[in-house]
Amino acid sequence: MRSRTGALTVAVVALFLGVLVVSQFRSREAFSRTLQQETPETLTTLIADLSDRNRQLRDEIFDLRSRLEQARSSIAGGRGALEESERELAHLQVFSARSAVSGPGIAVRIVGPFDERALSDLVNELRNAGAEAIAVNDRRVGPRTWFGPGPEGTLVIDGAQAQGPWIVRAIGAVEVLYVGLTRTGGIVGQFQLIYDRTRFDVTREPLLRLPALSSP
Amino acid sequence: MTDARAFQKGFVLLVPAVLFGILVAAQWGTFAAADRRDVTIRYVEPLHASIEGLQAQQDAFKEQLAGLRTELDDLQRTAATQSGATQDLQQRLDDLRALAGLTAARGEGLVVQLDAPPPIAPLDRPTCFAPDLTDITNMAWRAGAAAVSINGERVVGSSSVYCVGSTIVVNGTVASAPFEIRAIGDPAALLATFDDPAQLRDLKRRRDERSVIFHATRAPLIEIGPYTGPIAVGSARTE
Repeated sequence: MRSRTGALTVAVVALFLGVLVVSQFRSREAFSRTLQQETPETLTTLIADLSDRNRQLRDEIFDLRSRLEQARSSIAGGRGALEESERELAHLQVFSARSAVSGPGIAVRIVGPFDERALSDLVNELRNAGAEAIAVNDRRVGPRTWFGPGPEGTLVIDGAQAQGPWIVRAIGAVEVLYVGLTRTGGIVGQFQLIYDRTRFDVTREPLLRLPALSSP
Repeated sequence: MTDARAFQKGFVLLVPAVLFGILVAAQWGTFAAADRRDVTIRYVEPLHASIEGLQAQQDAFKEQLAGLRTELDDLQRTAATQSGATQDLQQRLDDLRALAGLTAARGEGLVVQLDAPPPIAPLDRPTCFAPDLTDITNMAWRAGAAAVSINGERVVGSSSVYCVGSTIVVNGTVASAPFEIRAIGDPAALLATFDDPAQLRDLKRRRDERSVIFHATRAPLIEIGPYTGPIAVGSARTE
């Protein structure tokens, strides 16, 4: 009886592993198939993007190792890990949009018809360009922020109605953000073609002050 | 008469000459295409290998990063037991980590499948799904989702989704169809928002035209891993 239960357990585990292996193989196969259809130019762009991301990860690993060492020696010296915890708290408050922040960045002024999908795309593009904090008019964009349509000339941001004109402000590396948006074929150029009655102005800002996220 | 015969002879030669010319041109075209193909293959194969190598390296870095974050968290937690002030700080850190998507999440919710139907012709380019993925994520937040992932990548405050060609990049990681978007939250609220005809109109129209495969199903238990990418805070300062 016991051996039968054992055999059944082994069979179930083997089946589960088999399904996992096959699904993993299929997913890799689909991924490889997609890559096969890309041009060398596209593949080169992907390599540049992956290399850039890996560099960011390497930098963060290096930084975390050094912070870990500092925290260890601080604890060993009887000073606890308060300094490191406070530093991490400040980082996480920015990352989760829970505190008001200031810093250099860019501002995008949008005067004229605009919709929630375009606003969502603009925020996505700013994040892609490395924005550390974003706000639309006086509302901070958080990790779970959503955009919806509103009555004429308005949009809904996290459930609250907001009125245009729109000023989207983003803190981060100024030139990267600016070029990311205004490059030829970039999102602002596309917007100018699609929303031909709307004016888009992108400016570099030496100091921006963004509020904390107002919704939970 | 002699002239007519000479013309006939010339005409007889003209037809094979034209045919021969066509054959030579076609053959030349084939060789040229083969040469171009050789060049493409020569560069594409190493590029594929580089992408797969970089992706594997990224996976290893993410694992290292997750390990270091856990180590630092454990160290802070141990130190926090020493005083009330640090305990309070630790609690705030735990709350912020959860809000930022740095901890695993589990619960009931919705699983959305998004894919392209099989190509009709072998050289049909796959669809770029980036706008659809951002629309679906926006809908999930709108329906009150607590956590969302795209093919296992946790969507956080710094996440972006974009296309390079028809390949998707989420959190700096390359991904391709089929896509699975997981959303943890009230399944009824999530499903009601997804089923609302006013939402995701474009995607639903394409689904009805059978140019995209798109469906959402309730799930009693979903697990979404923590965000394992970098937390870049270099320019912004807390006020």
